[in-house]
Amino acid sequence: MELQKFQYDNKTVKMFAYATILWGLVGMLVGLIAAIQMYLPSVNLSLPYTTFGRIRPLHTNAVIFAFVGNGIFMGVYYSLQRLLKARMFSDLLSKIHFWGWQIIIVLAAVTLVLGKTTGKEYAELEWPIDILITLVWVVFGWNMFGTIIRRRERHLYVAIWFYIATFVTVAMLHIVNSIEIPVSFWKSYPVYAGVQDALVQWWYGHNAVAFFLTTPYLGMMYYFLPKIAQRPVYSYRLSIIHFWALIFLYIWAGPHHLLYTSVPDWAQSLGVVFSIMLIAPSWGGMINGLLTLRGAWDRVRDNVALKFLVVAVTAYGMATFEGPMLSLKSVSAIAHYTDWIVAHVHVGALGWNGFMTFGILYWLIPRLFQTKLYSERLANMHFWIGTLGIVIYAVPMYWAGFMQSSMWKDFTPEGQLKWQFLDTVTKMIPFYIARSIGGTLFLTGAIMMTYNLIKTIKIGTFLEIEEDEAPALTGEYQSHSKDHWHRWIERKPIQLMIISLVVVAIGGLVEFVPVFLVKSNIPTIASVKPYTPLELEGRDIYIREGCYTCHSQMIRPFRSETARYGEYSKAGEFVYDHPFQWGSKRTGPDLARIGGKYPDSWHYNHMLDPTSMAPGSIMPQYPWLLEDQLDGNSTMAKIKAMKRLGVPYPDGFEKIAMQEMEKQAKEITENLKKDGIETLADREIVALIAYLQRLGKDIKAEVLKAEK
Amino acid sequence: MKNFTKIKLLAFAMMFPFLGFSQNQAGQENSTYFSNALFLTLLVIIIVLAIVIVAFSSAFKNIADSNFLINKYKSKKPEDATKIGKITILVLLLSSISMMAQDNSAIQVKSTDLIGGLDPFTFYFMLFVIFVELLAMYLMFYQFNFLVKSKFDSTSDITKKAESKLMMTLTDAVAVEDEESILLDHDYDGIKELDNNLPPWWKYGFYLTIIVGVIYLINFHVLGTGDLQGKEYEKEMAQAKIDVDEFMKTSANNVDENTVKLITDASEIKSGKEIFIANCAACHGKLGEGTVGPNLTDEYWVHGGSVKDIFKTIKYGWVEKGMKSWKEDLSPIQIAQVTSFIKTLIGTNPPNAKPPLGDLYTETTANISTDSTSVLKDSLNIQVKVDSLSTKK
Repeated sequence: MELQKFQYDNKTVKMFAYATILWGLVGMLVGLIAAIQMYLPSVNLSLPYTTFGRIRPLHTNAVIFAFVGNGIFMGVYYSLQRLLKARMFSDLLSKIHFWGWQIIIVLAAVTLVLGKTTGKEYAELEWPIDILITLVWVVFGWNMFGTIIRRRERHLYVAIWFYIATFVTVAMLHIVNSIEIPVSFWKSYPVYAGVQDALVQWWYGHNAVAFFLTTPYLGMMYYFLPKIAQRPVYSYRLSIIHFWALIFLYIWAGPHHLLYTSVPDWAQSLGVVFSIMLIAPSWGGMINGLLTLRGAWDRVRDNVALKFLVVAVTAYGMATFEGPMLSLKSVSAIAHYTDWIVAHVHVGALGWNGFMTFGILYWLIPRLFQTKLYSERLANMHFWIGTLGIVIYAVPMYWAGFMQSSMWKDFTPEGQLKWQFLDTVTKMIPFYIARSIGGTLFLTGAIMMTYNLIKTIKIGTFLEIEEDEAPALTGEYQSHSKDHWHRWIERKPIQLMIISLVVVAIGGLVEFVPVFLVKSNIPTIASVKPYTPLELEGRDIYIREGCYTCHSQMIRPFRSETARYGEYSKAGEFVYDHPFQWGSKRTGPDLARIGGKYPDSWHYNHMLDPTSMAPGSIMPQYPWLLEDQLDGNSTMAKIKAMKRLGVPYPDGFEKIAMQEMEKQAKEITENLKKDGIETLADREIVALIAYLQRLGKDIKAEVLKAEK
Repeated sequence: MKNFTKIKLLAFAMMFPFLGFSQNQAGQENSTYFSNALFLTLLVIIIVLAIVIVAFSSAFKNIADSNFLINKYKSKKPEDATKIGKITILVLLLSSISMMAQDNSAIQVKSTDLIGGLDPFTFYFMLFVIFVELLAMYLMFYQFNFLVKSKFDSTSDITKKAESKLMMTLTDAVAVEDEESILLDHDYDGIKELDNNLPPWWKYGFYLTIIVGVIYLINFHVLGTGDLQGKEYEKEMAQAKIDVDEFMKTSANNVDENTVKLITDASEIKSGKEIFIANCAACHGKLGEGTVGPNLTDEYWVHGGSVKDIFKTIKYGWVEKGMKSWKEDLSPIQIAQVTSFIKTLIGTNPPNAKPPLGDLYTETTANISTDSTSVLKDSLNIQVKVDSLSTKK
């Protein structure tokens, strides 16, 4: 057979590697700043752009989509070409992919600090960026499949199965979760509301973890781990079973983020059950990775890249065992809304994604630059300081989460709550300090790596043209009788993609269709009415400031929560909430029934300086809300959009919306005046007060009526 | 091996002061140490590190004792190593004793300069102990690494045979030496694949989770034998009511708006003040001068100024006016205490007082001037005091 000569595209790999390092540093730094704000809120310098509510989404987006995202593309572009014995399909597409993704990241960073957000966790980016993401993702898929089609290797290796599943599933998740109606260029409302929105959002959110942070990294593990360790993969059959089981089961598990909420019981149970079944498939990946190192553990001692990979795989194993445990309802009752979850995700993010990326970079950069790593010693120090950083981050957060939850649930024998919410917050501060120390160590390690890699790059010369040769694929494949049945699909990339899509679509369909079509899943409540125009504007301010990053709006049916916050939340209360704002973390108290709990003036003073109303509070100050004028230009468009989404405003309501808004604003300013606060009716604070005072009130009226 | 036993003994000796220390603390009344999370965290870290050191030093000993090394180094290095272990543990032993000795005096430290609820001495001392332990671990690790490296470097084939029988049974794997027999003809950029069996524990574990899943669904959604969250909540509330009622029967805490009387006992007024500062000051001002909420130091009351009225206002709130109900947060006796404290504020004329709101109410206008003396002597009041002391624990 004739050998064909071809060249690998190393330039794109190099650029993605650089982007990974850069955005990694940025993402971790922003995370550290956010962590410090947990005990020193004034670190935001009283600027709206740097408050926790805005930089927390910046941190998560930067780490997930910028750091890990570029890490994925780096790993895929490097391994795909070599596993297929082919150059990337199109240099132009590679270029568009790279620069397109970086533009998305920059746009995301700018819009998030400006408060342009959809208010849906890990999907905060507004609709123009959503469209851009879709386009760039298609370019990535096109480039990948083009390369696959032109391959010189008959069968697709397990790494590529994972890449293909990643591509189709992320596309599906992103598109379905981002369906929204634009109001203006940087503002949209999702088509889903309340319980439906929550279900779609966490189907997305959970599987962003599964198919953005896990499957592509498993694919990379399958390439880089055996490659670096120079050992055969432990078990081909294990690869097959854990791949298909993982992608099928993962999709179903989304509702475990919504246990004890207003989501229908059956959907919650599916979330629990599928999470438990996920343990083995997840661990299949870990086992296959670790057992590949059989007989090569001495290499782990000498090879710093392998060290990182081993800890990464172990962290993956820990996080994927802990995840199903957290999905048990009794554990979720304790851990949900607390820092326990923060610890859990950081074991995954810092351990699995972080260390995997570092390990690959330490191996890849010297190869691309045809030299040795500048300093093995420094890399070893990075390994230890990073590991220590993870431990010092995670342990205090586990402790804090468990402790705070216990305090929330504490009753005196007389039947009163033992602790005010604020007491439980001030107790967290030492833990928050410890966490930021762990974060600092981890970031220090990453900086050491950056220095080490820059030095390496300086000594080496970039391998621009890397040649290889392989025979072309010709004719039909003559299968051996001994072939495993799965070999068939490994020869058929398109079929593999379609079957993957079918497999991952099932879980979502089974969970969504009944919730969207069967009325009894969301019993309606007659007294629940749409928001007034002023309240709607206030709600958009609530979303803009990222209040949901610290406050939940979902009271679970526990004695400790109904005693503290009032009647537990009902599905019917959220039918006009586009988007839902249930939140996932209670750094501050739940706000589902904050309406009417305090006077307007309390909220006014509290926004100006939270510690004036709640001494010891760690909430940042929001002075700009008191000064900034409410932008009423799009109110009419917002009402119209809501009507299109099925919110029952009366006919022609958008025309009188402005008058309604002024009327309600005046009532609030007069109310404030009684308490000696003079403010103009067109300030943002007035709208926010209107919204907060509305929260949870509809059902209160209902309960009162029933009592009478 | 003799040395090793010594280390073990030392290690145990080291743990004893900790135990003694913990009992010492727990025995004290109002012990704050063991309810202090920071203290517990540090203590756990210290103990865990100590255990790691002990485990490490034993592993260290084993390697040091192996013939291989004795031959190679003529037991030069192992001496060093055990010395480190011994010294560390001695230091720890001493330090933990001195820590115990220090604690009694440390307790008297004023609460003003606490670090995370700990007095500075304890805090820094525990940090120091952790530091010493980390240092010891570093030294040991350094030595260990050196030994292991030299050991394996000279006999690199040892590792290949190091797989234990247990591991082989668990994974049902073909031994590394025989893996040629299951090597598939796959080759992707030099990566080959073995065809090992699925590890049995993994496979059966997977089946088990599926079975558990099916049982779970049947239990909750087919048979309905499990309680879903609505039912679970009802049960929790019912049980809580039983528990509280049971407690209240025997508790003198059971005052309500009909039975509440003014309390004059200074210590209870002080508790009332603490409750006020923690919960009420945000809206009514630290001195009761009124900020968001009304002034409590004048004789004008929006919802009545008698003890019973104030008690009722706190207990049920006036939600539409912004006063929340406190009955889920404060016990009846606490409400009575804070009510009585508020009564002491009248006429104190603090700075920046808010103008009066509501109707005039004084004890005289209410025509109970004679009552006020009887309140002092009220038997119920005294009883409450006595009981509240006895139930306070």
